This record gives sequence, C-alpha cells and structure tokens, in this order.
Amino acid sequence: MTCILESPRPAAIAAAIMGHAYVETAASTLATLRDAPSPSGAPALPARFLRHADEHTVVAMRSVLEAIAAGAAVSANDRVAIVAAPCQSGRVLAARSLAQLAVGGAVTVSPHLVPQASLHSVAGAVSVAFGWHGPHLGVGGGPDALAEGLIAAATLLAAGSGCDAAWLIATDWQTEPSLDADGGPTGDPVCRSLAIALVPAAVAGARPMLVLDPAAPAVDHASTIDLATLARAITSMASAGEAEPWCAECPWGGTLTLVPAARAANIPFLRASA
Amino acid sequence: MTISRRERAEPVVITGVGAVTPLGSGFDEIADNLLAGRSGVRSIEPGRYAREAVQFAAPVTAIPTPPADSCGLDVDAFAALGRLERLCLSPAASALADAGLPRAGGLRIGLVLGLGAEHLKTWELDFLDGGDLAFGTRRDRTLVHRLAVRLGLGGPAITVAAACASSGYAMALGRSWIDSGWVDACVVGGCDILSPTAIAAFYNLRALSRRGDDPARASRPFDADRDGFVMAEGGAFFVLEKRSDAARRGARIRAELAGVGMSSDGVHMVIPSTDPVQAARAISTAIDDAGVAPCEVDYVNAHAAGTPVGDVAEAGAIRLALGDATDGIPVSSTKGMSGHMISGAAAFEAVACLVAIERQAVPPTVNLDRPDEQCRLDHVPHVARPHRVRVAASNSFGFGGSNLCLVLRAA
Repeated sequence: MTCILESPRPAAIAAAIMGHAYVETAASTLATLRDAPSPSGAPALPARFLRHADEHTVVAMRSVLEAIAAGAAVSANDRVAIVAAPCQSGRVLAARSLAQLAVGGAVTVSPHLVPQASLHSVAGAVSVAFGWHGPHLGVGGGPDALAEGLIAAATLLAAGSGCDAAWLIATDWQTEPSLDADGGPTGDPVCRSLAIALVPAAVAGARPMLVLDPAAPAVDHASTIDLATLARAITSMASAGEAEPWCAECPWGGTLTLVPAARAANIPFLRASA
Repeated sequence: MTISRRERAEPVVITGVGAVTPLGSGFDEIADNLLAGRSGVRSIEPGRYAREAVQFAAPVTAIPTPPADSCGLDVDAFAALGRLERLCLSPAASALADAGLPRAGGLRIGLVLGLGAEHLKTWELDFLDGGDLAFGTRRDRTLVHRLAVRLGLGGPAITVAAACASSGYAMALGRSWIDSGWVDACVVGGCDILSPTAIAAFYNLRALSRRGDDPARASRPFDADRDGFVMAEGGAFFVLEKRSDAARRGARIRAELAGVGMSSDGVHMVIPSTDPVQAARAISTAIDDAGVAPCEVDYVNAHAAGTPVGDVAEAGAIRLALGDATDGIPVSSTKGMSGHMISGAAAFEAVACLVAIERQAVPPTVNLDRPDEQCRLDHVPHVARPHRVRVAASNSFGFGGSNLCLVLRAA
C-alpha cells in the first residue's frame, strides 16, 4: 500500500521500539537450540527448561534472548506485559498426540499437551523463564496473529492498563509444514520469531515507532502482515537510518505504520501512558 | 487520597449478556440454578477414547439457535457449524440481542474472544471425524474473524488466551478498547468445549477429580476431600459500552466493569505459585482500579477449581489482598456446580457475579462438606446466602501463572 505519513487520529497509539530480534531456525537445528537457547550475553535459562516446549516457544525464546543480549532497553518489572502471537503453534505436539491417541488410546496423551501447545504457551514460557510478573497473553493463533498481537500490545500500553512496556513476540513457520503419520515435520521447515520490546512513545527518546490506528476505515482485502517483512523494515530503520515509513493494513481495517526515528519526533501526537 | 484510574475514566458498563452453559442458557435460568445449588456435572458417554470406563463432566446439553436476523443463519445452517463455533455464536448473539445494540447504525463494535485452544480443538475434532487437518498445511483464518462477520461487527476482532483466565482477559481488553476510543462497543467473552484429548491430557496431568462413582459430588472447591477439578464446556459473552452511550440510547445497564487487575506468577507452566504475592497483586490492583476499599467488596467469586494446590494458593491470595476485611466478605466457587469451563470460566463467573448483584444473594459452593483448614474464608457452603451485593470481585487463574481479577459494581 502507499504509505502517507499524516497526523494519526486521536485514538491512535504509538509505541517506541526499544529493541528487537528476528530468528529463523530450521527444524533440523531446533534440538540444538532447545538444549542451549541462550546466546552470548543473554541470561541463562533454567536447565532443560524447553525440553517439552513447542517449536514456536523454542524459537520465540531465542528471539527474546537475542533482543536482550543486543541491549533491548526494557527493564523487567511487574509492569511489563508479554504478548505472544503465534500462528498455529502446537501443531507438531498436537499431531503427535493424535497419532498416539489412535494407537494407544487416551492413556498415551501427553500431560504436556495443554500447557505447552495452547495459545498461551509461548507467552507463559517467557514469563516463567525470566520470572516476569506483568500480564502475559497469547493472541491470534492464525494467519492474522501478528496484527492481533500488535493491537493487544497496544492495548496493554494504552493509558490506564497499568503496563509500562510490552514484549510482542510473533512466531510462525515460514511455510506451514506437512507432518508425517507420527506428527513429525516433513522436509526441513523453518520456524521464525520476531521479538519487539515496546514502550509508549511518549516516554521514549528518538526511536523508531510503531503507530497503530485501530479505527482507520476498513478495507476489503487486507493482506496478512508478514513478520519477516516487518522485521526487515525495523532492522532497516534501526540500523541503517532508513528514512521512509512503512505501512500495512490490519485485517479489520486498522493501519500499522512504522515510523523512522528521525521523523517520529515530528508527529504531533499521541496518547501518553503515564 | 489517590484517585484510582477508573475514577479518571468514564465508566464502562455491561448492557448485554448471553450464556450457554451446563447450568442452562440465558441469564434467568442460570441464575435460578446457581442460587438453587444445582449441579451440571453428570456421567457422559465415554466414547472410543475415554480415559476411564466411567467418564464424567459438565456438558452443555442444548445450544439454542440464535435468531436468523442476529447472525444470518437458519436452524439447519447453524446446526451444520462446528460445536465450538456454535458455543460462541449462540451466546454472543444473545448478548447483542440483550443489549439491543443496533448494528446497522454505523457503530464500530469490536470483538475480543477468550479462547485458549482453538486449533487443538479444531485439529482434534477433525481427526476424530477422519480428517487430517492437523497433519496438513492449511492456514485458515480463526474463529473470531468468522464470528465478527456473522454478527455484523465491523471493529477490531482478536483472540486472546491466558489459559483458564482467557475470557476474563478478553473482558479486560475490551474495556481498554472502549477507554481508548477504538470502538463504540465491544462484544467480549469466551467459551470452550469438551473433547477426549483435553480430558485425557488433564487426567494424565492428575488435575481432574477421579470421583467417577458420584459425579455430582466430584467438584469440591475448598473442601478438605477435593481431588481435582471437573471438566466443563460452555460460553458466556457480554456487550460493553460507555455508560453515557448506554444511557443515551436507554439501554438497561446490568453492572459496571469497574476494575481489572492482571499479573503473572512467573514460576511454573502448570503449578500455581505457593507464594500468594502475585495473585494477591491482581486482586488488589482490580480493587484499586475500581476505586473501592477491600471492606467495600461484598462478594468474591473464587477461581477455586477444587485442586489441592490451587485452592490453598487462592485462599492465601484473597486473605493477603483483602487483609482484615477478609472474614466479613462471603467467598464462593461456582465451579462446584458448573465444573471448569477453562477458556469460558472467567466469563461465566462474571455472570455469577451479575447474578449476585441482581438477585442480592451469593451463590453457594456446593459439596463443601468439610472446609480445608488451609482455606479459611467466609465460605457459603451448600445453600445460597441472601446478601447485599453492590461490588463483586471474580478471580481467575490459569496455567503459566496467569492471574486476573475483575470487579463488577452495581449500576
């Protein structure tokens, strides 16, 4: 879509990006990441913390750890929210459980299925891994997960919600893999995660900003926001000083605009969350 | 005196409610059953994949077809939908009808659906029906977007999940959308359905009661002999809008969604923290958000599902949050009657709070024969208690350490 940077409506909310990381991992290397998720400079997780975790959770955790290692400037306190927006997470564990159910009956169903393969599981794992006490939510679950996660994160950053910052963590398979009869992925599909640390724009300095205008007029055929595309746009603005804004339409008609730091200070807005 | 957040914002009120539950459909039927202490727990058809020969739960026995003008579906088309979709669509349409909210007048109405395992349920039911969705590459849009289209809602629509607190978080986010001016009104709530794999997974986790010899007495919140929760299904939805908007169109205001408190234990993916600090923080935050003192809370609807660890942890959190006021505030868990609706539980229990406010009576905790010494509270065992209820708090706690408290206030 053509991106025209204009004064957002009063209901729009802007969030400054305090750090981010994007991770792509092939299924064949997930086992290594599961055993040793922390990069250099990141906190260590409890031993074997991810042993029962879904693939999305493993990759999500790595993206948060990389963002922290890179200096994502969000302090961990009781007012930091975690919003995880996975697309069809838990499918491998679910398929494996169904395959086992058909052969061995209910006694074979894994007790880890619900805690590790539900929509809340990625957010819950991040909350538990770091001992963070702000609210954590799973959001979306389908192809619109990233857009839904953005509005949920914006909601928690809005005035009155009691949160000073939010982590938005979006995950998916680059291409949804087909699974074999035992529930294992065929081929070597790539699992992806984008972690973004956000604070209300009013409390940040010159940073790239995400501006979400949930009340923009509806459009007929908004396309899904691809998380790799958003990741590239953020990286471009954060590292290369990219000057052009980037826009996308949300499925309900709202718009998402990524504003470069150099231009963010000139936007006459918005809502402050004090 | 500090001014709470809600005192600075215009009140957000509930103008519509719809529910389809093991205790009936529609507010009055549910209210009658809750206050009569009737249980919806019963033996169910074990089916091919039952975990035990005797299987019990709290099922929904009938899902009313919404009026065709509310969702564009006739009886046959509605019956052809999946059970999860019907259990969302029916109560959501009822809530909109109850609110009398016009959908053709340019109002921007949002939808926040609390649902924690849509895909797990969809894949499982398809698999049990001979399909292979779980193994394929399809990515269909989620239920919330189909619901928004069927209900004619043009605002944002999202699914949120916080395990057993999911539908409560949906209510919290919906209120924020109205506060922020993103929507004029918002449909909020959640639902869940029974399925063999879910029952087996919770059973294998040793979270479920094993009292198959007496299903109606199996769900025993706060009782010394409790041994786990009872699975249930059902859905409950509300219409939220600003009080001034509701008053302008002459809508019936059922209550104000006055306070919200959220926190996380950050301790374990399954087991609630034995340290009550974070759960108590959610309760205290909600009370503060509502601008009331602990002694002004007239009723607490506890999450208490009947698990040995969870009920003790919650009792400690209530006592920590309410302090000296605790002993004068009646506390009950309606899960003794309804079972545990998982994603739909928080919304259903908000309905129970509305019942307490409208009927001026506290629903009982059935099967509470011998209160656990570690759960010392002002229990309401077996029989409803007539009581002045203007402010009701409802707790919801979920896997992953999600804590939520909602405070409802009489209009």
